[in-house]
Amino acid sequence: MEEKKSNKISRRDTLKALVTLPVLGYFANRFYVKYENDLSSSDFTRMKLEVADTSIQIPAAGYSSKGKQIRLGIVGNGFRGPQVLRSLGFAEKEWSEDKIKNGVPGPRLQSFLDQEDLNIVITGVCDTFSQRAEEAADIVSSPFRSGGAKQLNRPKIYANYREMLADDNLDAVVILTPDHWHAKMAIDAARAGKHVYLEKPMCQTAEEAKLLRDVTLETGIILQVGHQNRQQASYIMAKEIIDKGVIGPVSLVETYTNRNNDHGAWIRGIPKNANASNINWKEFLGDKAWREMDLDRYFNWQKWFEYGTGPAGNQFTHEFDCVNQVMDLGIPKRVIASGGNYYFNDPRDIPDVFNAIFEYPDRGMSLTYDCTLRNSRLRDKTFLGKDASMEVNVGVAVFPDSQSEKYKKYELESDTPLYTYHPKSDAVDAVTSATAKYYHDRGFGYTYHNGKKLDATYLHVKEWLYCIRQGIQPSCNVNRGFEETTTFYMSNLAYLEKRVVEWDAENEKII
Amino acid sequence: MKNVNYTSWQIAALVILRVLIGWHFLYEGLVKVINPAWSAASFLNAAQGPFANLFKSMASNAATLDVINFCNQWGLVLVGLSLIVGLLSRWACIGGMALLFMYYISNPPFIGLDAIAVAEGSYLIVNKNLIELFTLFVLFLFPTGEIIGLDRLLAFAKLAK
Repeated sequence: MEEKKSNKISRRDTLKALVTLPVLGYFANRFYVKYENDLSSSDFTRMKLEVADTSIQIPAAGYSSKGKQIRLGIVGNGFRGPQVLRSLGFAEKEWSEDKIKNGVPGPRLQSFLDQEDLNIVITGVCDTFSQRAEEAADIVSSPFRSGGAKQLNRPKIYANYREMLADDNLDAVVILTPDHWHAKMAIDAARAGKHVYLEKPMCQTAEEAKLLRDVTLETGIILQVGHQNRQQASYIMAKEIIDKGVIGPVSLVETYTNRNNDHGAWIRGIPKNANASNINWKEFLGDKAWREMDLDRYFNWQKWFEYGTGPAGNQFTHEFDCVNQVMDLGIPKRVIASGGNYYFNDPRDIPDVFNAIFEYPDRGMSLTYDCTLRNSRLRDKTFLGKDASMEVNVGVAVFPDSQSEKYKKYELESDTPLYTYHPKSDAVDAVTSATAKYYHDRGFGYTYHNGKKLDATYLHVKEWLYCIRQGIQPSCNVNRGFEETTTFYMSNLAYLEKRVVEWDAENEKII
Repeated sequence: MKNVNYTSWQIAALVILRVLIGWHFLYEGLVKVINPAWSAASFLNAAQGPFANLFKSMASNAATLDVINFCNQWGLVLVGLSLIVGLLSRWACIGGMALLFMYYISNPPFIGLDAIAVAEGSYLIVNKNLIELFTLFVLFLFPTGEIIGLDRLLAFAKLAK
């Protein structure tokens, strides 16, 4: 089409210049309508219920590791060892190299490398299986460090934890041993003036937990129990929802464990080269009854109440610590439990089907726990309130109650969430997150800070180290550990003794 | 005014394409402007590929992040407005291409990288950002602002000087 050359603007020219302007008018109209519509649907809760925005901040992510370098000893390097070492900033060479493709680190390795340097040095390691002590030393002296930290010299391998504690060359210990050693080691460490990071459950029994609590408070050391879900963004969100009364008074909280494989039933295998020459069996047994060396008991110790704590100590404690941080529940008044060992016919004495009810009459509610090791359906922790129900895992979803007076006026549907928090969609674009669907992944390993995916255990050890430097108490301190151990221990007693177990809060005694 | 030899169908198609892309930019921009909680931080932190560290470092500095947030949301709005009304539309094409290029390389659909969590399709090297980027390149090479758009008035103003 020919355009005439002229320096005079005709009406036709003006029309051609302005022809697309009405599009803006149409856009403005549609934009307004959509904005109003979004306010009344997806942003409903945020606006009406005053729930905070989805960009959750986890305090530990902002803690500085500046100051004194902390010298750590690692006690025990079993299944959990390499994982916690990665959280501390040390990764196995093979694990790391396996994740490099064409010279580019894969997402998991990159996420490890991106972790901040925690300003620590690992001076010693020990394990009753000498090969695992060597492996821990290999990891500590591996070139793969997070936050650009420099490679460490090979740490000293101690014959046992007592020799390690006697050494002035360390400030704190990370205890990753079987449960029956937790209390004794942590108490010895506290008395030696060493700070303690202790894998969950804190202790095997309520008596041990009470003693450890008293010794910890008396010596003033900083103890953190390894419930890394204290750093879980969704739990922070869940707490805010409860505190703001969004779901109303809570009458029941349901918690679950469903697993359906050998690993989930604590059959973890026996290394081929393990034998009496490289395992210190006597040290493993500790004060437990003497018996001849049994590699099944040594490597798969969770299967026996003697060394482990059953589903209650292993799994329920995770669930309990979530509910305890969301609702500050503390120790229940009464506990009943039942179950049995029906499906796993190997040597073991812990149940594979286990149910417990924890009563909190002062709070007008009960907490239930259901566990089966022969089904893997995911069941969310659910908080049942008068006005709404809240499902919590790595995400949060709040469903209005059809009988709730509070929500009746909004004409909400009870199968459509009133509010959802889902970190993964958040990580891509905060704008779309309000309508993003709720994901049901359990996500024990990772949490989300400001939309950034982080290893929860990394934040948990980071918080512990920060508290040591500042001389303050961490989120999962010995008081929380005392509540955790006493609560699960009551359910184990109820199961084993087939009776109602009560808690005398005044005298801090089980009756 | 330039000599152009488009048929009226070609003009119509090019102008409609320009307006559609403008609409997309304008909405993406305004939606961020009106949401006080919006920040590029989560997008930058999810960056992958060869420039991931660069984008992540942008997110880690609060002052840099403020500048990025401002430039991104208002950049989108300006590019969108400019394309719709046809004012400085070739500059808008360049601006829009620059923004799309950043989105593309911050999370490129290369082999071996994780698909971002809520990507709404499956991509191999080519994704919608890349296609929109090259569409803007086409609009840059086949400008229409001086035929249908405020650039027409701008051209007269220049001629009058």
